Amino acid sequence: MPQLTINGRSVTVENGVTVLEAARGLGITLPTLCHLPGKPAFTSCMICVVKNEVTGRLIPSCSAPVMEGMVITTDSDEVRQERKKILDLLLSEHSGDCEAPCTTTCPARMDIPLMIRQIAGGQLKEAYETVTDRIALPAVLGRICPAPCEKACRRGHHDAPVSICLLKRFAADEALKVDADVPPSPEGLRRTSRAASAPDKRIAIIGAGPAGLAAAFYLARSGYACTVLDEHEAPGGQLRYRVARDKLPMDVLDREIDVIRKLGVLFQMNTRIEPGAGIQRLKANYDAIVLTPGRTHGDSWHLWPVESDGRGVKVETGTFRTSDPMIFAGGEVVHAGQMSVRAVAHGKSIACAIDQWLGGRPVVGLEKSFESRLGQLKEGEIGEMMKDADPGTRVEPEGEHGAGYSTDKAVQESRRCLQCDCRKAKHCKLRDLSVEYGASQKVFTGSSRTKFVKTVSPQVIFEPGKCIKCGICVRLSGLAFLGRGYETVVGVPFGDSLKSALGSAAADCVRNCPTGALAWKADA
Amino acid sequence: MSEDLQCVDEAVAEFGRDASAVIPILQRLQQRYRYLPEAALRRVCELTEITPAAIAGVSTFYSQFRHKPVGRHIISICHGTACHVKGSELIQDALARDLKLGEGEDTDSNGVFTLERVACLGCCTLAPVIKIDDITYGHLTSQTVSRALHDFLELEKRGIVPERHDRTAAKGAGLAEIRIGVGSCCEAGGSQSVRRELEAEVKRLGAAAVIKPVGCVGMCHQTPLVQIITGGGEPVTYAKVRAEEAARIVRRHLKPGGIVRRIRAGVDTVLEHLLTDDTWEPVSRYALDVRDAPVCSFLGKQKRIASEWCGDLDPLDITEYAAHGGWTALKACLKAGQPEQIVEEVTRSGLRGRGGAGFPTGRKWAVVRAAPGSPKYLVCNGDEGDPGAFMDRMLLESFPYRVLEGIVISAYAMGIHEGFLYIRAEYPLALQRIRAALARMESDGLLGSSLLGSGFDLTLKIVEGAGAFVSGEETALLASIEGQRAMPKFRPPYPAESGLWGKPTAINNVETLAMVPWILRNGAGAFQEMGAGSSRGTKVFSLAGKVVRGGLIEVPMGISVRDIVNEIGGGTPDERGFKAVQIGGPSGGCLPASLGNTPVTYESLAAEGCIMGSGGLVVLDHSDCMVDLARYFMTFTQHESCGKCTPCRVGTKRMLEILERLCEGRGVKGDIERLEEFARTTAGGSLCGLGKTAANPVLSTIRHFRDEYQAHLEGRCPALKCRKLVAYTITEDCIGCTKCAQICPVEAITPAPYRKHEIQQDKCTKCDSCRQVCPSNAVVLGSPGVSVDKEVG
Ligand SMILES: Cc1cc2nc3c(=O)[nH]c(=O)nc-3n(C[C@H](O)[C@H](O)[C@H](O)COP(=O)(O)O)c2cc1C
Ligand code: SF4
Ligand code: SF4
Ligand code: SF4
Ligand code: SF4
Ligand code: SF4
Ligand code: FES
Ligand code: FES
Ligand code: FES
Repeated sequence: MPQLTINGRSVTVENGVTVLEAARGLGITLPTLCHLPGKPAFTSCMICVVKNEVTGRLIPSCSAPVMEGMVITTDSDEVRQERKKILDLLLSEHSGDCEAPCTTTCPARMDIPLMIRQIAGGQLKEAYETVTDRIALPAVLGRICPAPCEKACRRGHHDAPVSICLLKRFAADEALKVDADVPPSPEGLRRTSRAASAPDKRIAIIGAGPAGLAAAFYLARSGYACTVLDEHEAPGGQLRYRVARDKLPMDVLDREIDVIRKLGVLFQMNTRIEPGAGIQRLKANYDAIVLTPGRTHGDSWHLWPVESDGRGVKVETGTFRTSDPMIFAGGEVVHAGQMSVRAVAHGKSIACAIDQWLGGRPVVGLEKSFESRLGQLKEGEIGEMMKDADPGTRVEPEGEHGAGYSTDKAVQESRRCLQCDCRKAKHCKLRDLSVEYGASQKVFTGSSRTKFVKTVSPQVIFEPGKCIKCGICVRLSGLAFLGRGYETVVGVPFGDSLKSALGSAAADCVRNCPTGALAWKADA
Repeated sequence: MSEDLQCVDEAVAEFGRDASAVIPILQRLQQRYRYLPEAALRRVCELTEITPAAIAGVSTFYSQFRHKPVGRHIISICHGTACHVKGSELIQDALARDLKLGEGEDTDSNGVFTLERVACLGCCTLAPVIKIDDITYGHLTSQTVSRALHDFLELEKRGIVPERHDRTAAKGAGLAEIRIGVGSCCEAGGSQSVRRELEAEVKRLGAAAVIKPVGCVGMCHQTPLVQIITGGGEPVTYAKVRAEEAARIVRRHLKPGGIVRRIRAGVDTVLEHLLTDDTWEPVSRYALDVRDAPVCSFLGKQKRIASEWCGDLDPLDITEYAAHGGWTALKACLKAGQPEQIVEEVTRSGLRGRGGAGFPTGRKWAVVRAAPGSPKYLVCNGDEGDPGAFMDRMLLESFPYRVLEGIVISAYAMGIHEGFLYIRAEYPLALQRIRAALARMESDGLLGSSLLGSGFDLTLKIVEGAGAFVSGEETALLASIEGQRAMPKFRPPYPAESGLWGKPTAINNVETLAMVPWILRNGAGAFQEMGAGSSRGTKVFSLAGKVVRGGLIEVPMGISVRDIVNEIGGGTPDERGFKAVQIGGPSGGCLPASLGNTPVTYESLAAEGCIMGSGGLVVLDHSDCMVDLARYFMTFTQHESCGKCTPCRVGTKRMLEILERLCEGRGVKGDIERLEEFARTTAGGSLCGLGKTAANPVLSTIRHFRDEYQAHLEGRCPALKCRKLVAYTITEDCIGCTKCAQICPVEAITPAPYRKHEIQQDKCTKCDSCRQVCPSNAVVLGSPGVSVDKEVG
């Protein structure tokens, strides 16, 4: 029985055991991609490298059998650097979008294709949850947002973009209907949120415009006690006092503010907070302050007791922290003349940062994941993307000007969506490792990325551009490696159907495919 | 097509239903249909255990297999190293133009010819080379290549089908002997038609002479070679003999006194001159060319072990092999009955594997011998994929019995009873000879059960490779024999412990095995005496490229690179001498002339960023661009990567992209450093030797020729090789003959009789045609900042 040392710890294992298994025995997990427990090692990805200090070589731990006297290091800089390079290489040929371009363009980063799939599937409650996860005032924004997301919408390359904004409005309006089956209850909204890290803390929010309302919505949803203070008679800020009435009927705004009120948020209207003494008082009575007063007083931002520059109050990117650690600022006080959706996005980020701060965790704001991006489409790619979408033209709502979708129309329009996001975005090993190792798609430049291709079976989507050639599905099913060298692809023999090639191994393949190359059509 | 599928049933009946039968079955189908029709493949799946996934995977992995119907004839354009440096890209373009092929097309609209890129046809001394079906054309230019097409069609019209005959000529005492080279280079040079003419003339005269085919003579640059030995007289050698001249040569010797035409070496037969003197010089003093040094110095520093009796042996004459010491080693080994002694003797000799890695052969044998498990297997690796090498091919073709004797001895030494010879399908002659030699040995009791009455059994089988460089890597080779895609596996376990079907397997290179009989006949000491450091004995190289005398050479280890090029190879045709030597092919590197004193040993070559490799040695002169060469090898490696492991599959591609942009003048600041970094990533993380060494051609050229990389970054190609970085212009020397305008395929030159011509740069495709036809050398090549008067060969 060979004895070896892993990260300085000595261990004795059975003959024939791999270094990976020996490390697991010590509770050390190593990254793997092509490894399929129970099957012979394939040794293709090389992500599992560790260093054998005896020979000075990097070896794939999933394949290397232990040997007497081995001295293994699994987490040195050198090893981590090597793994990063492997990921950089894989990413340089990766053809896929983790998130859909509409989502990455949306300032609030709403998961648009998920919302659309939910609408298409009649899961309206879920669709509302998806929207409100990022957008606090969806019925309002569904009417006034200039929809930058639609400008990025891939469907626009074929005919016209998906009516994202109207679909969002539909999801919100349905949920807010007085007689809706599932009106957004405070409990329901809270359930879908992360519980507060420090629930007994109190937060003051200066200004009831879109940024302040959004911050209040997310903080209250988590369970914080929030008080919104505003000098006006009614909450809404610019939404109430600047936006044209015919675009945004007041009852829509009122109903969305009601949702926030029901979450337990206190509104102290007709209350003007003086930049000096007023703030000091709030600091003494509250645990954190959200500064979202807008620009109703012209250029007066520099009066607030925090650092500012020529444009507005200075905040840290991502966390919206001001020079005063207790104060977080967003909306127009930071940067004038922005879209309401951006102000709403600020509110969400601020809520997140405050929760981190009050919970004593590092304040980083919303977590950024790794994003693989297709970028500019190549010739023929839009055709691949159209494969599973309704070919019909953009659906217009019925009724007078300014009307929203009926359920039928909304479902019809949502079928036009190409589902550009990756169906494994939330459980892709490649993406997770890319985050962990700080890998990037830009290191190995000069790359001509592979063409985006999509094959669809009744249940499974296969996108070879996301395949890392780990060979797992080839080992499990009737799929085959085709070609050689850089051009090697995984494919279906003889151009038969994907379904027949996967056969009874479909579920196994989808589960074990480390990327979104093989995924269920429906969200897991 | 139902009756058509009969062939599938037959192939299955012959090769069996196991998964491992897939490659031979596919080869048989392709022979029949000339490509692989889907219906036939589906039928294979119906009849056998081979799955659609397996058949799709295998048939798309090996480049031998085609999935589309092809034209009536296949033109294989060699893009091996020697052919590349001699302009194979220009040949490719010219052919595509002649056949009017559009972008991405490979077959002309009439379905007559299909173009195919191949890596090394194994007759590098005739570079650049193309093969149309079985006929090889060498020394081509973009001008002469269309003549080759016409010549071929002419032959076809006249119904002249090239045939191969390997009948061993009976030899009688007192007869004159006419030896004709039948090595690959000689055959490519047209030795079969010369041989037919020789035979016809001998018959017509009723002369007392035998015509004897001999293997490679090691003078491949002068093929076809004919040597005549008359009773008592000294042998006379003729070089570059043409079929029309064969009869006259025969008449000259068998009817003394006549006028003899001796063929002067030279590409242009117009330059042949008539010799009227009657004195015959012996071969050792025969001046092949006024510029050539005498042949004796060509052979001088050589020492022939694997290629012993080179030029004297009829490859398939087993009696003759025996008469030259053949089988004595085997017989002695069997008689002694102490196999472990053989292993020890080989260990003592210091023999290291000649397949590239240089692993001590005796040590490998000892491991296999001691390994638990049975049966054990032996594999002779004859895959030879280096695109500028033909050593193993020559050994298999010219000395089949020697290789086989080595195999039998090693099998006996390790207690192995079943062996495989893995030989690439691109070597039809080698396959044919080995097949014939095996049959002869079986009938002579040198193989089979209780061979030579020793009680030792051995069966040997031939496995045909199907076109994948990586299948030369030992674990990939085993996968290939088992009928899989040739994808390497992680070692350990090494094949010596767990190889074919999980059993202990000894894999040795052809040349390694060809050394074995000599070592056992002459003793380990004699072998050990030659060489330097831990590199003992001799090494066979295929010498090609910009060298006067190319061919198969065998030299004692430790000889300097300069001696090989200048003394054995006769230097370069270009008077400035060699610029560098590429050693080791796609895994090797470029050794600059300034390091020409480097001795040929595993260690000293490695110290300079090269490797011994399997023995490809391509000489480069000043018209060779080092960046282009690096790009060339990376194209090869990238294409030949099995595509399995990340660093090699993706890393080689990324390096190639940088090299391509450098060669096209699109380099980006930092590209050289980027290349170095990508090289480290690829080399460090790859699974097998292919990926681990893929960056060597890049790193060694950066190391020794960094200034050339810098020049490319600035948009210049000092060697005037990179087409995107050069321009053709016409100088004042133009006499207005209009020849260039007539030949230009893209009308970039307007005819202007008696006036100086001009080239429209936006139209010019840099085909080089105008420069070749200009009678006054007025067409010149230039690159920004590089002097324009340079001759490019
Ligand atoms: C990519 C690659 C290609 C190879 N090609 C050959 C080959 O064509 N012939 C050969 O004998 N060895 C080749 N080898 C080396 C073999 O893996 C193996 O080391 C060799 O056959 C062992 O025989 P030897 O010890 O007699 O040299 C290759 C190795 C690699 C990595
Ligand atoms: S496969 Fe992974 S990395 Fe690729 S797009 Fe999908 S989630 Fe992103
Ligand atoms: S098609 Fe759908 S997923 Fe794609 S960009 Fe448009 S809305 Fe987003
Ligand atoms: S598609 Fe198959 S080979 Fe590609 S990453 Fe997924 S499991 Fe691996
Ligand atoms: S190094 Fe290249 S050839 Fe070798 S296993 Fe990896 S991909 Fe295949
Ligand atoms: S001008 Fe250019 S295209 Fe024309 S013959 Fe000369 S090199 Fe060729
Ligand atoms: S090589 Fe070990 S997990 Fe892929
Ligand atoms: S929903 Fe995000 S910009 Fe429109
Ligand atoms: S024959 Fe072309 S390089 Fe060998």
